Amino acid sequence: MTEPLVRFHEVKKRYGSAFAVKSLDLDIQRGEFVALMGPSGCGKTTTLRMLAGLEQPTSGTITINGKVMNDVPAHQRDTPLVWQSLALFPFLSVVENVEFGLRMRGIDTADRRERALKWLDRMGLAGFEARRIDQLSGGQRQRVALARSLVTEPEMLLLDEPLSALDAHLVIRMQGVLTKLQRELGITFVYVTHSQSEAFAMADRVVIMGQGEIEQIGNPREIFRAPKTRFVAEFVGRNNILAGPVSGGVMTTAQGPVPVATADGPAQIVVAADTVSLSRDRPAQGPAIQAAFLSEEFAGTVIICYLEAADGTEFKAQVTEAQLSALQPEPGQPFWLTWDASRVHVMKA
Amino acid sequence: MKAGDILGRVYLGALFCFVFAPIAASFVFSFNSDRFPTLPLGHFTTDWYVRAFSRPELWQAIGNSIAVAAMTALLSTFIGFATAYTDFRYGFRFKPAYLALALLPPTMPLVILGLAMLAWLSQLGLSGTRVGIVIAHTVLATPFAMAICRLRLSQMDPTLEAAAWNLGAGQWTAMRYVILPFCAPAIVSALCLTAAVSFDEFIVAWFVSGLNRTVPVMILEILQGNVDPQINAIGTVVFLTSMSLVIAAQFLIFRRRHHD
Amino acid sequence: MTERTSVYRIFWRLPLILWQGAFFVVPVAFLAVMTFWLVKNYRMEPDFILTNWEKTLGRGVFWDAYWLTLWRAALAAVIATAIAFPAAYTLAFRMSERTRRFALFCLIVPFFTSFLVRAYAWQVILAEGGPVNAVLGSIGLGPYVMLNSGFGAMVGYLTLVLPLVVIFQTWGLSAIDRNLIEAAWNLGATPLRTLVRVILPAARTGIFVGAIFAFILTFGDFVSPFYLGGSKPPTLSILIIDTTKSGQQWPRAAVVSMMMILTLFLTSAAALRIAYRGRG
Repeated sequence: MTEPLVRFHEVKKRYGSAFAVKSLDLDIQRGEFVALMGPSGCGKTTTLRMLAGLEQPTSGTITINGKVMNDVPAHQRDTPLVWQSLALFPFLSVVENVEFGLRMRGIDTADRRERALKWLDRMGLAGFEARRIDQLSGGQRQRVALARSLVTEPEMLLLDEPLSALDAHLVIRMQGVLTKLQRELGITFVYVTHSQSEAFAMADRVVIMGQGEIEQIGNPREIFRAPKTRFVAEFVGRNNILAGPVSGGVMTTAQGPVPVATADGPAQIVVAADTVSLSRDRPAQGPAIQAAFLSEEFAGTVIICYLEAADGTEFKAQVTEAQLSALQPEPGQPFWLTWDASRVHVMKA
Repeated sequence: MKAGDILGRVYLGALFCFVFAPIAASFVFSFNSDRFPTLPLGHFTTDWYVRAFSRPELWQAIGNSIAVAAMTALLSTFIGFATAYTDFRYGFRFKPAYLALALLPPTMPLVILGLAMLAWLSQLGLSGTRVGIVIAHTVLATPFAMAICRLRLSQMDPTLEAAAWNLGAGQWTAMRYVILPFCAPAIVSALCLTAAVSFDEFIVAWFVSGLNRTVPVMILEILQGNVDPQINAIGTVVFLTSMSLVIAAQFLIFRRRHHD
Repeated sequence: MTERTSVYRIFWRLPLILWQGAFFVVPVAFLAVMTFWLVKNYRMEPDFILTNWEKTLGRGVFWDAYWLTLWRAALAAVIATAIAFPAAYTLAFRMSERTRRFALFCLIVPFFTSFLVRAYAWQVILAEGGPVNAVLGSIGLGPYVMLNSGFGAMVGYLTLVLPLVVIFQTWGLSAIDRNLIEAAWNLGATPLRTLVRVILPAARTGIFVGAIFAFILTFGDFVSPFYLGGSKPPTLSILIIDTTKSGQQWPRAAVVSMMMILTLFLTSAAALRIAYRGRG
């Protein structure tokens, strides 16, 4: 295996007594699209800022191309970042913004102008070079920010929630632009987001972070179908989680006994909402628990039903419109939930 | 701490020393026995205070200053609040000109304003009266009152007033029970600050005061004679008076902010 | 409710118009009118003569004072801007919010101390036998003559304007989006180039407004040139006071005032244009 482009080794970051990043070990390969995903305050942005040299790790090492970067100041790194606020310079024109990095590297005027214009052209902004930033639309600014970061031909591009300020329809379009760019350039993208759909749509590998630690690393499918921890299971997808001691293939949960194919001892299982079906009567075979109907939510072509078990635990079941009209659920009405035991994902407790 | 930080702090300290040197020196010299102070200092004395405050004309000047400051504070705070409220609530065609009228006076050199006031008040027969000084000081102090009240109003949810109308309050009632209570701390601090502005102003007052000298005008006239450390004593008292007003104003602004 | 005739609306709008109209606009306009009046036997009489303008603008002493005042005000604005910047930078970027707020409050304090008393304190401090020369003398320097010179006047100007310039610059610098500064580093700018290429352009408005105020205040100040600058050669403000207080030549003082107002207006308008150029 070749040496990774970036290696975080036991990296910790503390602010006062609070840990923003507890202990991070992560390798990022050349040419991959990695998404760092998690709720706000999970340390994903801090991780990205440490990689750009905008924060110093409290301990541990960050290496890029095998070189320890801890003491290399931000301006001596080649780690351009696309900011959530975009951070375009309002007192410079579009082309001056794009040129900025080249100018700082001492590239002569004619050369840097040519390269900047080439990038503006590539981003579909030919003819906009003399504009002021406040004369551009949100999508155009986004592309200026990308051009500004990519004009120096870096080995990697860092992106900090770059799409969060855009309208929904532009987000989808920019996702396409980003994945295409990454494939064409063949460079590494490190993309921080709290949005599952963005991460899963674009990334080769997703790193899920929670409270300053990595919870799971994997491709979108693995993370979606086989969450390693309860945190991941709750953060991604619509999952139901059952927990309890297993003995002789039966788990004793707070909602009743459930057959599980795993060894004895404490365990947790994840039952995806799209594998659950609802019925009024107890199914003849297979696992089943009872819960009272709460409400339904239309999610595009499917409907999510929310139910509450006797102990207060909430369950989700995904049904079609036809199934829902057959069931005719009333709030408070009891239903049986069942699922295919072979499609259950078992986590360690 | 990095070297740059330390350097920055040292620089900042030096700048503060320069700005505060005359204030501190005046305080120290006011208790120093030498008429021409130098290092090392002479011995401690309260003699300058005793001498200054045994002058009957100083007491007269203090009376004038207090009367003028009090009237100025009331007038300029009322006008300042009315202007701030108008700016907050209404948009109209000549608003830029209206706001310029509110904010321009501090940019006019005081010597010119003094001359203009002197000439105009002489025409009105008000030159040399305390009313004349109040008029001039109100022109100068209104922008400060306006700024403080406007700042406070900008922290107010604009729908509060509409909510009061919606609940049946008329315009005047909404002003009385919603706007004025909300602006109360700003109004009190505007009163303090405008009084302080008036209490310190001497150029315009010198032009228009005639025989009704205020304290700073009296300092100016003593200074035109010869070096007299009584000025330090009077200056220190004036400084402490103004500072109490300013600190009271600041305290009111900040205390309120913590509650919000 | 008829918006147009509302008593309520007029009640709040009128006080400013009446007061500043009657006691700011009218006096200044009257000053302009007065420049054409005649002075006879120490009394002013309404007239329309150009003598006051001719007599004032035709005198070398006026133009000497004019250029001296302009030069000093420009110099003070530049020096104050340069001296204030490192302090404002430290306050804006190296201090906690609490410390910054406290420091800014401290900088407001001097506005409420009599500038006269401060000028007098400088007279004593900088005197030939004063504390500064005593300290310098103890290390074998001086004594230096610091009062009644351009240097003395500059000390006064800086005492007057430095706090204000620091406050404006700190506001301007604090308002800069931190991401812009980080973005500059991220794109390879050294701290020095970040300062020149990003921080200075982004804080331009605050820096210019500070300099404009410094210019306006020093241009009209009379205490520094009179008590610390030695009053000779006179500045425009000293000229106005001399002309007003000795004799009744108010119309000629008014001519000087008009020239000052005109100069301030043109300078500020030009500087504000530069300060806000390229802003939306």
